[in-house]
Amino acid sequence: METSEENPAPVRVISAAIGEYVGRLGPVWVEGEIAEMTARPGTIMAFMRLKDPSVDMSISVSIPKAIIKSVSVEPLPPNALIKVFGRISWYAPRGSISLMAKSIALVGQGELLARIEALRNLLAAEGLFADSRKRPLPFLPRKIGLICGRASAAEHDVVENAKRRWPAVEFEIREVAVQGINAVIEVSAAIRELDGISDVDVIIITRGGGSFEDLLPFSDEGLIRLVAKCVTPIVSAIGHEQDAPLLDLVADLRASTPTDAAKRVVPDVQEQSALIQALKDRSRRKLVSLLDHEKAKLSSLLSRPVIADPGTIVTTRYEVIASLVARARAMSPQATLDRGYAVVQSEMGVVIRSAKSVHQGQRLRLRLAEGIAIAVAEGENP
Amino acid sequence: MSQESISYEAARDELISVVTRLEAGGTTLEESLTLWERGEELAKICQSWLDGARTRLESARSLLGD
Repeated sequence: METSEENPAPVRVISAAIGEYVGRLGPVWVEGEIAEMTARPGTIMAFMRLKDPSVDMSISVSIPKAIIKSVSVEPLPPNALIKVFGRISWYAPRGSISLMAKSIALVGQGELLARIEALRNLLAAEGLFADSRKRPLPFLPRKIGLICGRASAAEHDVVENAKRRWPAVEFEIREVAVQGINAVIEVSAAIRELDGISDVDVIIITRGGGSFEDLLPFSDEGLIRLVAKCVTPIVSAIGHEQDAPLLDLVADLRASTPTDAAKRVVPDVQEQSALIQALKDRSRRKLVSLLDHEKAKLSSLLSRPVIADPGTIVTTRYEVIASLVARARAMSPQATLDRGYAVVQSEMGVVIRSAKSVHQGQRLRLRLAEGIAIAVAEGENP
Repeated sequence: MSQESISYEAARDELISVVTRLEAGGTTLEESLTLWERGEELAKICQSWLDGARTRLESARSLLGD
């Protein structure tokens, strides 16, 4: 359609064009959750806003009350998941689009279960639930991301138990809708945000027990795929023990209850402190014993005479020498000489023992107590 | 001692190996002293993780864009 500022198209032309485009869609079956419903008494038509459960989009639907009554006697429950069949119509006077529903069908729990089962098989086939994808939880997370219902018991259980185990624990809490129309959107937004915070080392997604429909958002395909892509490890603690939304399968850890989640994410710090203290004591005791051992060795060395009294070195030497001298002296004749004896030797130093061996004029050496004298022999004494 | 950025688990496991080696003996006095000092340092790191001091320190540091 050619239009310009100079020659704009009048509303009726645009409106007709929109009507024509819309008409091309033709009759369709549409599924969604009833976000709002108005059925004023005395009118034949009911109007509702049908919302996509996974994405923030909705369309308005107008439907004769009689058709609703044909499938459900009581009024439709809020957030009910329904399917409607009809054509999209363009209401030119007000420029509004809505689906004129000709028939309606409730999506029963049976069908929902079948769908979840089909989705589970599909995602399992893609390997989203594979154990190899499961990441270990950090031992001591710097911060714990917590996605839970507003002021819920689940939040209280997680926070209280975590604090009891580790008083210094820190949380990034996002209170969101955990059931109904906006659950998937709000939980997903919280996951994206917390996954982006660098020091959030683990994210717990938790809520208390609820009806099958209440827990449905935690089996939403979009949410499951988002969790699968997360960098941060995810802990799922949804509903009671027997509830098993798909989130349990894709999460890195499934906790049975919020309290269990706290226990799995935060170690018992008293226990760890005791362990560290014990290790410190052991190393100190060992070192002390080592030092004592060395000290004992040292002191035994030190107490040995040579060191205890350095003088002993001299005295022992002295004693040694003294004893040598004494022995030498005991061997030498000096003591005898001192008593007045003398040793007579020939010039050659041979000791004269018999007068017979002395001949006249022989020079003799007389070793006296003090010094040596020379004498000339006259001969043997007759 | 510099604030090593060593995880709690790594510090604890190293502390365990230090103590075991110390207790096994056969190390010189010098080596034992060094081992003991490393043990004390590791214990301090572990305790600071447990006290959350490290977490706050780390997050404070990341806030300052350290």
